[in-house]
Amino acid sequence: MLTKIHHVGVVVRSADDALKFYRDALGLPVTADRVIEDQGVRGVLLEIGNSEIELLEPTREDTGVAKFLASRGEGMHHICFESDDVDAELEGARARGIELIDQKPRQGLAGMICFLHPKANHGVLVEFATPLKEGH
Amino acid sequence: MGIGATHIDHIVISSNDSGTVAQAFADNLGIEIKRKMIRPGTSAQLAFAKLQEVVLEFAGPPQVKPGEEVKAKLWGMVLAVEDIDAAVAHLRELGYPVSDPRPAVQPGARIATVKDGTSGVPFAVIQYNAIPADGS
Repeated sequence: MLTKIHHVGVVVRSADDALKFYRDALGLPVTADRVIEDQGVRGVLLEIGNSEIELLEPTREDTGVAKFLASRGEGMHHICFESDDVDAELEGARARGIELIDQKPRQGLAGMICFLHPKANHGVLVEFATPLKEGH
Repeated sequence: MGIGATHIDHIVISSNDSGTVAQAFADNLGIEIKRKMIRPGTSAQLAFAKLQEVVLEFAGPPQVKPGEEVKAKLWGMVLAVEDIDAAVAHLRELGYPVSDPRPAVQPGARIATVKDGTSGVPFAVIQYNAIPADGS
């Protein structure tokens, strides 16, 4: 069961530049900031209420995030729904015939995650996440 | 110091057919569409879902063109603040161009738009209970 919006992902050219607004001007605290090598992104999570804003800066040019930035520019990239069981969400989506990007959950900045194919929701990229018990 | 943001108030998903996109989210994700309305003034077709404190707003044009492929995208976000006048003053002091607060569609609420510096995200802040019931 999806319980809440875990985060919204925003693709940016420079996380440092984006932090001037999201952290410094808005005053949102950073809860995680690290490079995910296999995804080719620097991800920064900022806490806002029960959700987070995830800034995504590509660190190389052969990734989906880099291609999104090249074709569409900066902006909102995906929406992530939290579940207490990402495996069950993925299996449920598969059973309903929903096209998937990830065939099994993998570790991401938000915990164990998986993405549905944007075709499933008319172009909107949707992620499911189950946070790890030890947090970020 | 920040703007006193309490949570993501709503996330806007823009499309050429808000009803179909909202139904896809309902079917694929099990999200309940709780309300539909026509926006006063623009006649935009709106549908709403809510997960905890965050509203998903599906926005589309007044008329759907028959046979047109349905396309949707994550468009923008609105943060709730405790004092919109203080939030606007703070952002302006830092050099961000922000509209004057104006009455929002939501009864009793005022909203202001940040026009630049948000990393490509259409962005606004909203304060509820900002207008007394007598309109004064």
